[in-house]
Amino acid sequence: MASSQTPTKRDDKVAEAEAKSDQQQPAAEQKPAALEEDDEFEDFPVDDWAQEDTEAASGGGAAQHLWEESWDDDDTSDDFSAQLKEELKKVEASKKR
Amino acid sequence: MEFNTAFFHEFSEAHAQQDGYRLARTLTPDLPTDKLRKIWRSQNAHSIRSFLKRGLQGNAAFTGGLDHEELPGWVEVYATYWNALGEILAARESSNEGKNKSSELVWTRAYEGWIDLLNALLRGYQSHKFKNWTIICLYTVCKHLRLFAMKADDERNSNNVVDDSPAANFQDDFDPETNKRQKLEDCVRQLFKAFNICQQDRAALEESRKWGSYYIANLLLKSYFKLNSASLSKNILKNLHAGGKDMPDVSAFPKSQQVTFKYHEGVLAFLEENYARAEACLTDAWNKCHKDAVRNKERILAYLIPCHLITSHTLPTEALLESYPRLQKLFLPLCRCIKRGELHKFDLALQEGEDEFVRRRIYLTLERGRDVALRNLLRKVFIARGFEEAKDGEKPVRRTRVPVAEFAAAISLGSQERIDNDEVECLLANMIYKGFMKGYISRQHSTVVLSKSGAFPGTGV
Repeated sequence: MASSQTPTKRDDKVAEAEAKSDQQQPAAEQKPAALEEDDEFEDFPVDDWAQEDTEAASGGGAAQHLWEESWDDDDTSDDFSAQLKEELKKVEASKKR
Repeated sequence: MEFNTAFFHEFSEAHAQQDGYRLARTLTPDLPTDKLRKIWRSQNAHSIRSFLKRGLQGNAAFTGGLDHEELPGWVEVYATYWNALGEILAARESSNEGKNKSSELVWTRAYEGWIDLLNALLRGYQSHKFKNWTIICLYTVCKHLRLFAMKADDERNSNNVVDDSPAANFQDDFDPETNKRQKLEDCVRQLFKAFNICQQDRAALEESRKWGSYYIANLLLKSYFKLNSASLSKNILKNLHAGGKDMPDVSAFPKSQQVTFKYHEGVLAFLEENYARAEACLTDAWNKCHKDAVRNKERILAYLIPCHLITSHTLPTEALLESYPRLQKLFLPLCRCIKRGELHKFDLALQEGEDEFVRRRIYLTLERGRDVALRNLLRKVFIARGFEEAKDGEKPVRRTRVPVAEFAAAISLGSQERIDNDEVECLLANMIYKGFMKGYISRQHSTVVLSKSGAFPGTGV
């Protein structure tokens, strides 16, 4: 990049060509930049709103339905649970031997 | 609007009614191009000031609102506004015609024109006694200044022109990344001036420009986030807190400002790993957010979900994730693995989403969710061992002595990699240390002796 800053005239064209080839690269990387744009917290179309238009009010006590415990004792039908039980039996069996 | 009788009428009515929103609409650049052209052509640089002066004075005298101190301030505001519109018009025309292949940075000129307007407005507050209800005008001007700055940066970056402005040359080391955001960086300096004009107003609260502080602070926070500068963002928070008892509480501000502010404050706390604070701010933002602002709600949840995982070891419900497909894609695989205690699949899911997690700056936090997955796995082993033989009539007691080998088998189950007992004991010791599991390791017997009263605190066993 430093060469594009040297002020001698003859270098200018080279620098320009370099700059142009450099430009191809960022163009290919446009996507993440666009995503980044997307990340910004948006302006709300209105300045203020009534309590009943808030998420808390509209969800009808949504707070309770947002989160659940991170474990689940009912869900023991999955492959992994079955595998685990098998494995533990094996360990126990080898102990007894 | 065009500078004609209707405009002067609008101005004096808005002014007489002290309607900031109405007045601010006369300072928007958000107009169709033909409208811009009309306004621009209706005046010329030589006569605009005297024209405005006569018009504003005439109507104001009629309604009796504008005093002689305010008048020159507004003349300057509208004259610079008109001038900036000329630049914006030129920029729009040149980008529409696609002739902007030259190195001419039309949006930079529009940005600079708009700075003149901001400065005229700020001088209005400093020297021309503009009232605090007109602060909405400052919102409009600041909001668009930031948009023009970003447009100017985009334009320069895509033209690949080396900026030779003094600011660029004074930098010791040339950093192309900084250079990419040059105008936005300049913009935050301008916005900071506006912030100070609001924040440092010592007038009584009902007449104070302090009411503008949060709006401008939010624009600054958005810009600092874009510039990746958490430390400067912290400065803004400090500045607002330093306002102390003179400063109205954030809850006294319009909800759009509260939610935007709390979101940024929450994310900053999150990045500092102050999860309790982050959760408080983000929950507040969530609760007050407009129910239809789906994209913003999604942004709040993107940080609130990892936060909850750390602070209370809870997961989002599948119903919640279903309403946000992007978040569902992001979090559901991890959540399922955590719930089932599938340690190996958790690692894979974390790897799978690594780029996106890193980009959103939640990777390190989610990684700590591995502890929860491990806890659930160990818990499953404990439950699978069942109960001691019941003594007659007494409540059944779970078998609390678990061979390390069983935990080891469970841990290596998914990956099929054997890990040695020392390593397993280390993991177990960590779980005990972190409070996920209660008990001790008997090395002599290669057994973990778990607590009879709550081996895995908070999980019902």
